[in-house]
Amino acid sequence: MSYLAIGLLAGLAAVERKGFLQAMISRPIAIAPLAGWALGDVQGGILVGAPLELFWLGAVNLGAALPVHETLGAVAAAAGAVVAGQALGTGVTPAVAVLAVLACAPFALLGRRADVLSERLNEQLAVHAEAALARGNPSAAVRSNLYGLALPFLFAAALAPLGAALAGFLVPAFLVRVPSASGPLHGAWVGFVALAAAAAARALRARRAAPLFFGAFAVTALVGVLVGRLR
Amino acid sequence: MRIPRPVLARVFWRCLFLQAAWNRRGMQNLGFAYAIDPALRALYADPARRAEALARHMRFFNCHPYMAAAILGGAIHHEERVAEGEEPGSGPLQYKQTLQGPLAAVGDGFFWTALRPFFGVLGVAGALLVGWPAVVAVLLAYNAVHFALRIRLFRAGYERGDGVVGEVARLELPVVAGRLRAAGALLAGVAGALLLVPAAGVGGPAAVLTAVAVTGVGYLLLSRGVHLFPAAYAAALAGAGAALLAARLHWSP
Repeated sequence: MSYLAIGLLAGLAAVERKGFLQAMISRPIAIAPLAGWALGDVQGGILVGAPLELFWLGAVNLGAALPVHETLGAVAAAAGAVVAGQALGTGVTPAVAVLAVLACAPFALLGRRADVLSERLNEQLAVHAEAALARGNPSAAVRSNLYGLALPFLFAAALAPLGAALAGFLVPAFLVRVPSASGPLHGAWVGFVALAAAAAARALRARRAAPLFFGAFAVTALVGVLVGRLR
Repeated sequence: MRIPRPVLARVFWRCLFLQAAWNRRGMQNLGFAYAIDPALRALYADPARRAEALARHMRFFNCHPYMAAAILGGAIHHEERVAEGEEPGSGPLQYKQTLQGPLAAVGDGFFWTALRPFFGVLGVAGALLVGWPAVVAVLLAYNAVHFALRIRLFRAGYERGDGVVGEVARLELPVVAGRLRAAGALLAGVAGALLLVPAAGVGGPAAVLTAVAVTGVGYLLLSRGVHLFPAAYAAALAGAGAALLAARLHWSP
């Protein structure tokens, strides 16, 4: 049942991402907590979604260029992490999160391939619409547009639960067999999050991005450490 | 003839589906034809004239999906003139062809590379400090700006036709985009530190070193064109390696 909910969520988000609305609901920072909520762990979704938003901040659809499918990757990783955390009884820890992210990130690349395929098949819709118009059926011609929503929905609805199931199976299996991996995996999480932050700063293409980013990073880290010590 | 307001509202609703059948042949052509169809139905009672008008809107079209609202409004403005016999049928097409490129560039530069990333990092910082209500607030704020501009552009296009260019210029979107990108870079630093301080705190000195080194080296490498995916796996590997080494040296907390 939970995989069905994840499939539905991923499908709808994939439609929102390009075909309809584009209201930011499909971005990792929104969709990962939603996936977590659907599985009963919003906080786990936030833990995965926050760095993924930074990591894929530059994933934008400029002109005809196709970015990676950040929505698919985020839903699969967040859902996979939550399922794995529940199986282990620990919730989503950094070790669980980094394994789920690394296992599910390739699904974002797979999603881009699915997008290319959708666009090719949409060419047939355009041909069909032109033929309908030539036959004197303008209503059928314009309706063809809506059929284009089906493939992105279906691809994401199929692939996201697959990714989540993969992570949900592999991550607990690995951590149960190699419990000593938790320490190094915590380090891996730090490494991934640090790169995600750097990727976000790069993606913003601000004129003085480096001083602004590193300055804010240093000040916030210092305040964070001080507040932590005071507590 | 002026298009009734409910029909305009229907066109606006349909323009939210502009990219539903995006394809490499006509790009947003089907979406544009789908969106403008209610207006054409209102303007052309003669089915042959409606089909002719629809055919010209099924030609190639591509623009930023939000900015396309301005062109859609303007195309209806021109179609009204065509229906009245005040301009030839090529008028709406020329209007679309002239504006789609420049408005796409403005829209990509403002919405996709400035406004949305800014709200993205704001959402991350908010989620880490406050939790999910901050994400909801950020989504509401982003969409308040997004829909206000989208509706304003649609209305400006419909009411002023070619004058929509002046309306877009008055918004000074490239100037605002520059400020949003700078604020976004600053917020990315805040969000990165909010994520890393607790994680590095648990991991000890090795994690702190990893955080500082990967952020700095990662920024440098990404600036030089290193691909994001291999860099992510390398960063995770480096972090795991540093933690293993620290454990071997009894340097972990």
